[in-house]
Amino acid sequence: MATLVQVENLRKEFGNVRALDGVSFRVDAGEWIAIMGPSGSGKTTLINILGGLDTPTAGQAVVDGTDVARLDEAGLTRFRAEKIGFIFQQFHLVPYLTAVENVMLAQYFHSTTDEKEAQQSLERVGLGDRIEHLPSQLSGGEQQRVAVARALINHPKLILADEPTGNLDEANEEIVLSLLRELHNEGHTILMVTHAPSIGRLADRRIEFAHGHLVQAAVASLKPELA
Amino acid sequence: MFWRLVFQLLRGSRGRLGVAILAIVSGAAVISALLNLDLGVQNKLTQEFRTLGANIVISPASGAPAQISGAEVPSLMPERDVLAALQQLPSAQVSAAAPYLYIVARAQNIRVVVAGTWPDQAQKLDATWKLEGNWVRSREDQSQCLVGRNVARRMQLALGNPLELHYMDRSAQCRVAGIVDAGGSEDNQVFASLSAVQSLANLPGQIGVAQLSVTGTAQIVADYAARLAAALPQYQVRPIRQVTEAEGALLGRIRLLIVSMVLLILILTALCVLGTMAALAMERRKDVGLMKSLGGSISRIVGIFLAEVGVLGAVGGLLGTILGAALAYWMGLRVFGTAISPRWEVFPATIALMIVVTLAGALPLRMLGNVKPAEILRGE
Ligand SMILES: Nc1ncnc2c1ncn2[C@@H]1O[C@H](COP(=O)(O)OP(=O)(O)OP(=O)(O)O)[C@@H](O)[C@H]1O
Ligand SMILES: [Mg+2]
Repeated sequence: MATLVQVENLRKEFGNVRALDGVSFRVDAGEWIAIMGPSGSGKTTLINILGGLDTPTAGQAVVDGTDVARLDEAGLTRFRAEKIGFIFQQFHLVPYLTAVENVMLAQYFHSTTDEKEAQQSLERVGLGDRIEHLPSQLSGGEQQRVAVARALINHPKLILADEPTGNLDEANEEIVLSLLRELHNEGHTILMVTHAPSIGRLADRRIEFAHGHLVQAAVASLKPELA
Repeated sequence: MFWRLVFQLLRGSRGRLGVAILAIVSGAAVISALLNLDLGVQNKLTQEFRTLGANIVISPASGAPAQISGAEVPSLMPERDVLAALQQLPSAQVSAAAPYLYIVARAQNIRVVVAGTWPDQAQKLDATWKLEGNWVRSREDQSQCLVGRNVARRMQLALGNPLELHYMDRSAQCRVAGIVDAGGSEDNQVFASLSAVQSLANLPGQIGVAQLSVTGTAQIVADYAARLAAALPQYQVRPIRQVTEAEGALLGRIRLLIVSMVLLILILTALCVLGTMAALAMERRKDVGLMKSLGGSISRIVGIFLAEVGVLGAVGGLLGTILGAALAYWMGLRVFGTAISPRWEVFPATIALMIVVTLAGALPLRMLGNVKPAEILRGE
């Protein structure tokens, strides 16, 4: 399979804190990767760099042929709009916008808006009847499903999910995970940060972090266990 | 989507933006009121003729008194000349006319200005007087007079009291028919029959000034004054404007004051908007970080916010301008006694000023450019 993400000797320093210290790995298109490790080990930092929200101190991070480390501000903006779909732990919906408008916002920054398509993507995450609701009128699980719809709307090459179920109860966690599983089955490439080993096991592979280093990569697919 | 976003953001922050729009509306209202007043009053009071009471004065050409009520009239003119000229011209437009002869007489050993006139015309020529008692109905009636309210107070005169006037070695007597409250120098004068004053002063057939009340448009008044001037080349014929030149000069200085007040209000409004926008920018840091993470460029994001602010300025400006025009109209009536109609040029000027000021107040939005989405979205 084609390599979608290639990280080479990636380093990120915040002052004298080394959040990432020589990280290298690759991800094939269509893979579902779980990024694991203790708090402060650099997981979010990695996601931010891969998503073009932050720039590395040294090293390469190539996503779909683009080395994010070399992009300027405008380039990063385009990169985020075109290649990345983010799902955050805190959902991060715009509180003044309805569910469908939150999805359309991503369309707007990407190219043009298409309300029909935005509605369909909400229907697909099971929110066909919540289209005009404001985030404050939605449960946490529903908000996260809006975020999933928003992450998908521009057909991104890479979906980056930083603890997507961290703020959800078990039932909602299950809904969001089954959505991710669906996306994976459709061929999307997903990098998902999680603390929970049970969730990590759903992925094809786990990448384990400790103190900015990779502890263990390329763990064999655990899918047989699931079956 | 752009305007939908702008509208939703406006709605979402309506509490905070309410404060800003209040500042903008009141700023615009005061500015538009001031501008309307400035343009309106200046024009109206200095260009238009008085519509109430006397609006044309005839006086001797040399050393003519600046004020019709002036006590010292150095030169006189024959009553006959003036009446002849008036009779020559069509009388339909003249609602009232009267000659005046001013002398300084003594009464109860107090010096007092006595105006000899046709008292029957006073009611129309001095339409703003408040009178206690009765007007004098006949101009031949030498037995009655009107006294100013200060005169009445000083001399303790009540309605019906006799008043004895002395001039040199002559004297005349009249009864107080009415007490005048004019709110001006007339309050210190006595108004008696012209013929009585002429014989008291021994100036038979002489008058100091004549006043006319001509009804009609400004054009009619001006035309009439011109024809009167042609008929009386040896005298000065002067239309009275709503405001004298001295008052006009004062208005000029008021204009300076108004301009500085407008500037001050603009600055205050900008400051108020600035405060609100700074708070709003802080509040929206997270949304901006998120928009950036979705691939929104800072110019597009700030563009949305600026449009929001622009709408605020335009709507606030419009509301305020209308309010201000109404305020100016009301103040015109109340303060200047003239109806000030809104000037169309004030509307775009005020609205444009408000939009500019509001955008200037939106300067804090610049700091949104520095928002680092990675830090903002890291969570709380
Ligand atoms: N903006 C920053 N300035 C300074 N230090 C930072 C910054 N961002 C992250 N760090 C540091 O970098 C290290 C890695 O942080 P990161 O957020 O990537 O950890 P994480 O693995 O996501 O942890 P968690 O599981 O708690 O989310 C931490 O020590 C953190 O304090
Ligand atoms: Mg993290």
